[in-house]
Amino acid sequence: MTLTGSGVASGTRGRRQPQLLRVFGPIDLRMRVALGVAGVASVFALWLVGAAAFAGGSLIPTPGATWTAFWDQWHTTLRGDLAASSYRILVGYTISVAIGIVLGMAMGAMRSVEAFFEPPMGFLRYIPATALVPVFLLLLGIDETPKIWLIVVGTVFFNILMMADAARAVPRELVNAAYTLGAGQWTVLRRVVFRHSVPGIVDAARVNLAAAWLMLVVAELLAANNGLGFGVERAHRFHAFPAMFALLMVFGIIGLVSDLLLRALRGRLAPWAEG
Amino acid sequence: MTTADVIEVAAEALEGPGGLVVAGVSKVFSGRRGEVAALADVDLHVEHGELVCLLGASGCGKSTLLSIIGGLDHPTSGRVTVGGDEVIGPGADRGMVFQAYSLFPWLTVRRNIEFGLELAGVDHAARTARVDELLGTMMLTEFAEALPRELSGGMRQRVAIARALAPEPDILLLDEPFGALDAQTRRHLQDFLLALWRRTGATILMVTHDVEEAIYLASRVYVLAPRPGRVLEEIDIPFGRDRGPTVKRDPRFIDLREALADALG
Repeated sequence: MTLTGSGVASGTRGRRQPQLLRVFGPIDLRMRVALGVAGVASVFALWLVGAAAFAGGSLIPTPGATWTAFWDQWHTTLRGDLAASSYRILVGYTISVAIGIVLGMAMGAMRSVEAFFEPPMGFLRYIPATALVPVFLLLLGIDETPKIWLIVVGTVFFNILMMADAARAVPRELVNAAYTLGAGQWTVLRRVVFRHSVPGIVDAARVNLAAAWLMLVVAELLAANNGLGFGVERAHRFHAFPAMFALLMVFGIIGLVSDLLLRALRGRLAPWAEG
Repeated sequence: MTTADVIEVAAEALEGPGGLVVAGVSKVFSGRRGEVAALADVDLHVEHGELVCLLGASGCGKSTLLSIIGGLDHPTSGRVTVGGDEVIGPGADRGMVFQAYSLFPWLTVRRNIEFGLELAGVDHAARTARVDELLGTMMLTEFAEALPRELSGGMRQRVAIARALAPEPDILLLDEPFGALDAQTRRHLQDFLLALWRRTGATILMVTHDVEEAIYLASRVYVLAPRPGRVLEEIDIPFGRDRGPTVKRDPRFIDLREALADALG
């Protein structure tokens, strides 16, 4: 006992924890940024290697050629394609999210509604929406209507199910508190279930937006005379690989931007659910 | 008016507004493994202006009983009346406070307290006046615009009590309201509840598993036994409304604590 408090260590105890690869461990902001930059740089490096390896840049274009192709298209077809595709996504996905909110809230909050919709939805959602493209084109023609409805069917089941989960996660204490303060069913649905689900609804909309673009591109590849998907098909027809790659970049950027916007929207609509 | 009517009216007058009667309430839950009797033939009453505690160990169905009184759950048999009216569902006349996490996290303290008043259609000016008054009573005035997550556990429960009180309920139902708090905050809120009861004369029914809490707060205690939940004993607490922490050193308090602890097993 005489050595107690002398501060002289005779050995070590415990398992030393790694700094970078610690499960749920914190990393500082500088390291975070550095790793992010490294991630983007490695994709870029992979691209350069690929461009050099595959037929010297004719099959996989170099970043430089892609950049040039991007600006060529920007001055010709790209803005029109972007507008056409954005319009379809905006209309189709808005319908999908609206249906998702209404049915999702009802299914998540009421067992009766859930019991009615669960079995048919369990069946319908396993039909790949892409397999419906020919059906929709035959039924609805080749104008805007089938493309918009393909976006709806391709995403609405995901939206409904995820939004129903958000409604299911509403704490019962909040619902009971509202009831004992005099709330009826409609008030509870609107002011407690929906309100509490807002962040979950935005998250679902953000995640499933990728499926909306997938459906749109499939539809545009097969039957369209404008739109980003049609742009890819046109580039394919003319073996214009740099133009095709430029369009792929555009998809990536649109995804990134809409993701950031929806994250910001979530923060704006539900600041109480942040962090 | 027939004689029976007269007796009925007289009985209601005796009960007073807010008088709660639980008569022969049983509750059976049917699950996959058969039926479980949660409550068996429970009789109890709370008079106007009383503070009564339901004391029981976990599994004695005390929260189920409170839910039934609150109208959130239905008895398998028996009935609950408040002021002579049969309870058929939840309503703001029976304000309820839950153990924790029952504040609307997206609403400020003020808007949380206002919730019931809004639903009752109380106009803005009257709402503001009532909420200001409650904020003062609950010592929450400076936190009126804070969100629940910015408050401590004890403050949140004060907001929950204020919210339940706002629509002026006939009876306040408290479901282990201090159960999730640390010991010091719990003692603080117990004194707070006593002061509130003294000042407002509210009718309060509180569920707890804490023997000392029940004796310290209640004018009467119902001891519940588990499986199936039933009333084991009804005990009058001999301390008046003006009791304070010193009562805990009273020999009668200590005797009651022993007796109730034994009754709980």
